Amino acid sequence: MQDILIQATAETPEVKFLYSANTLSITGESYPENAMAFYAPLRAGLHDYLVQVSEQTPIEAHFSLKYFNSSSTKLLRSLISLLNDAARAGKHITAHWYHDPEDDMMMEFGHDLQDEFGMLHLNVTPFEVA
Amino acid sequence: MNLTSFSDFCAQAVKEGMLFYYTGEYSKNVIAAMSDTLRHRLDSTSLSAPARRKIFSTFVEMSQNIMHYVDPDQDGIKVGALAVGHNGDKYYVMCGNPVRVEYVERIKEKVEPLRSMTVEEIKSAYRAQLRNDEHEQQDDLSKGAGLGFLTVARDASEPIEYQIVYRSERQDFAEFYLRAAI
Repeated sequence: MQDILIQATAETPEVKFLYSANTLSITGESYPENAMAFYAPLRAGLHDYLVQVSEQTPIEAHFSLKYFNSSSTKLLRSLISLLNDAARAGKHITAHWYHDPEDDMMMEFGHDLQDEFGMLHLNVTPFEVA
Repeated sequence: MNLTSFSDFCAQAVKEGMLFYYTGEYSKNVIAAMSDTLRHRLDSTSLSAPARRKIFSTFVEMSQNIMHYVDPDQDGIKVGALAVGHNGDKYYVMCGNPVRVEYVERIKEKVEPLRSMTVEEIKSAYRAQLRNDEHEQQDDLSKGAGLGFLTVARDASEPIEYQIVYRSERQDFAEFYLRAAI
């Protein structure tokens, strides 16, 4: 499988999906007008990867987003949902949701994901502010 | 507009704490330019990071709403208005756009309930909508996640306000105005 590497733009985050290293990182801001167009290929790639990866392989996912619009919100949740399904199926996944330490709403959003996706090992932590 | 009207207009904008105002064609490029401008202006204030995020978020939701839902006019142009400003410490974001009269009730049904909800009720409605995987099947008019107005209401610090304005020269369209204070 080919790694997915997408550079950040003003409206879309940096994506590093390294199959070889079993890590997925999404970093930056996400507010494209058409979030589906941005996330659909990533979601498909993640789905295919999770199907074929072995249960012994440790997988790490990092979501570090300062801001995302409403349509990105639903798609980010769908990525977490895929990870949760794979964890339920026995895959060895650790996910991290990073939020602005000052922003309670973004922290709550992470906790809501924890509540909803109980099969996934999901850490909610403040990111370092430069 | 003559120069006297223009200077009155400018003075009024300053008096109302307006940071910026745009009316006219909406396109991807216009939104990108406005996003940049608003970002720079917000970064030069002493507002906290969450407050800046909320103002920017409200601007994005309103702008993308215009892009998604406004019917192009006879020249294929989507028209909308948007303003950002502040009264003292409180910021406001407002938008206005034409809507087909047959959609007015639908918009009222979505916005009106948000006005009387508590913060906790808005958060719980937001959560329920986020987890609603059937939204796309149930609502074939909605192009987003059904979270747009909820996001605006969630980021606002007081109930959002709206107005529907009917003009006699256009029978099939009304104007929808929305205001959020942050």
